Amino acid sequence: MDAIRFTWMFAIPLLSSPAIYLAGRLGIHNPNQKGRPNLVRILALLAVIATWVPYIAAVRTFLSGERLEFAVESIWLRADAISLLLALMVLSLGTLVVIFSWSYMADEVGEEKFYAMLLAMMGLMIGLGCASDLFNLWVWFEGMAVSSYLLVAFYREQPASLEAGVKYLVQSATGSVLVLMGIALVLANSGSLDLAALHQNGARWASDHRLVSLAAAGLFIIGFGVKAALVPLHTWLPDAHSQAPSGIRAMLSGVVIEAGLIAMLRALSAIMHPLDWRIILLSFGALNMVFGNLVALRQTILKRMLAYSSLSHIGYILLGIGVSLFAGGEAAAQGAMFHLFTHMLMKGLAFLAAGALIYALYLQNGSHHALLVSDLAGTAQKYPMVALSLSIAVLGLGGLPPLAGFMSKWQIFVGGFSTQNGWIIALMVFMALNSVLSLGYYAPLVNLMYRKTPSDAILAGKPLPSTITLPLIFLAMAVVVLGLAPGLMDWLTAPAAKALLGLFGN
Amino acid sequence: MNISPLNVVLLVIIGLLAVGIYGLLITRNLIKIVLVLQILVKSAMLALVLAGKVGNNLGLGQSLAATVIVADTVVAVVGLALAVQVRRRFGTLDVADISTLRG
Repeated sequence: MDAIRFTWMFAIPLLSSPAIYLAGRLGIHNPNQKGRPNLVRILALLAVIATWVPYIAAVRTFLSGERLEFAVESIWLRADAISLLLALMVLSLGTLVVIFSWSYMADEVGEEKFYAMLLAMMGLMIGLGCASDLFNLWVWFEGMAVSSYLLVAFYREQPASLEAGVKYLVQSATGSVLVLMGIALVLANSGSLDLAALHQNGARWASDHRLVSLAAAGLFIIGFGVKAALVPLHTWLPDAHSQAPSGIRAMLSGVVIEAGLIAMLRALSAIMHPLDWRIILLSFGALNMVFGNLVALRQTILKRMLAYSSLSHIGYILLGIGVSLFAGGEAAAQGAMFHLFTHMLMKGLAFLAAGALIYALYLQNGSHHALLVSDLAGTAQKYPMVALSLSIAVLGLGGLPPLAGFMSKWQIFVGGFSTQNGWIIALMVFMALNSVLSLGYYAPLVNLMYRKTPSDAILAGKPLPSTITLPLIFLAMAVVVLGLAPGLMDWLTAPAAKALLGLFGN
Repeated sequence: MNISPLNVVLLVIIGLLAVGIYGLLITRNLIKIVLVLQILVKSAMLALVLAGKVGNNLGLGQSLAATVIVADTVVAVVGLALAVQVRRRFGTLDVADISTLRG
């Protein structure tokens, strides 16, 4: 019975999602009940808090060295360190997003849909981390994709949201067809889809069918790459990230693209093709970094700038993983796992802080106008808390020393240098230069917020409720604390790196 | 070269995939795009069944295809729902006319 317990991690959000929707819908037809939407929010908050219980239990089981696995017939669900890392990211950001949306989404039509889809997406992502055969992975992945289409197009009155939703749906659905083709290739040539079984005789089937495994790897990289926003496949991302409700932007950028990345790595682990696609990962990493940073430099809309900077951070993560797979050594992969987590904190904070400003400046005044970078001028005078947390977030993303982003980049950097490989060291220097380049668009934000006179938009802004500032304070503290004590996450990032390299047989 | 039934299925899969990708590139009507996506998914479903047959695991291949039917119906429903909203807001289904986000 103990083994089954960890499955509550995704069962609670998935089961509560329809309950929240029904509660919201049934409440609408009851005219006597004025405080109806509160029920939806309270249920959502209770559901995410309840999800922490099986998560903590699972972590304790994991730390005691037991295996977390569970099977229905021949479908296995296994929670390893990577699943737990992903689940921790989903749960921490999800909890804060639910609190953030408490006031943010209060006046929206269809609040119950928002919370129902958010919880469904969280549950599906946690499940995605636990999937241990290729097809199961695809099913969770597709479920996560569908729930995120609906969330991106949530403001269905807004033409731009619809456009972003359409782009996202078409690109992502095409990607998932390619993944299915890759799965068919693997099944046809190996007769099995279980990742552990494929891994055991992986070297055999992949070397027997060299071309086929290469084709399947290509299909997985392109198919999952759409979701993970690898550079030529990223075009949906800035639109989706700038049009979704603020809490969802934080989830999309902080967790969903990372979940796509983890799904891609898990699928690739079925194909033990030496060398070729590790170089592909490294080159995608380099391309993502430089493209994301260069395009972000010329953005005038804050959310689009942050969305492009997500591309460059996916690049850093890919680089860390690629270095470890290419040259051995766990340090870089551990840095990449740590960066997954710190990026979630920092990007979540940046998007939520931007969302707080959008709420105060535009939504409260009944407008859906995009938040321009120039609107930030003088934020510190009226919203000191928001200005401070946005500054911490962007400086952390840019990699300034006492903050979490520096520590995770530093781990990747050190891991890369310790390989003593000329090409890897050149890539690491390139990464450091990119990090400096990214300050070119982060630093002016801080300057604007603290040293300029307030813009008209700021002066017309409304006060912020405490449910919006609370998640900001929490995330900002986490970014600073993890920057001062990066060892706090070692208990999870070190086993996650080991599990990742284990997937690939290093 | 002898034409076995499996080769015929393979040709159909490749044909559907080609039609689907060509359609994605040239179609501008949102409803037609959803149909084209359906064609693509059908080719993937056939591929899964064929893969099950070739990999001596026919039951697995068929059950995967059955699962894909469910998943891709959901995607089609969401796609059509978006199409309805797009028609209401923009008054057109042409994707070239709804493109405003750039940069």
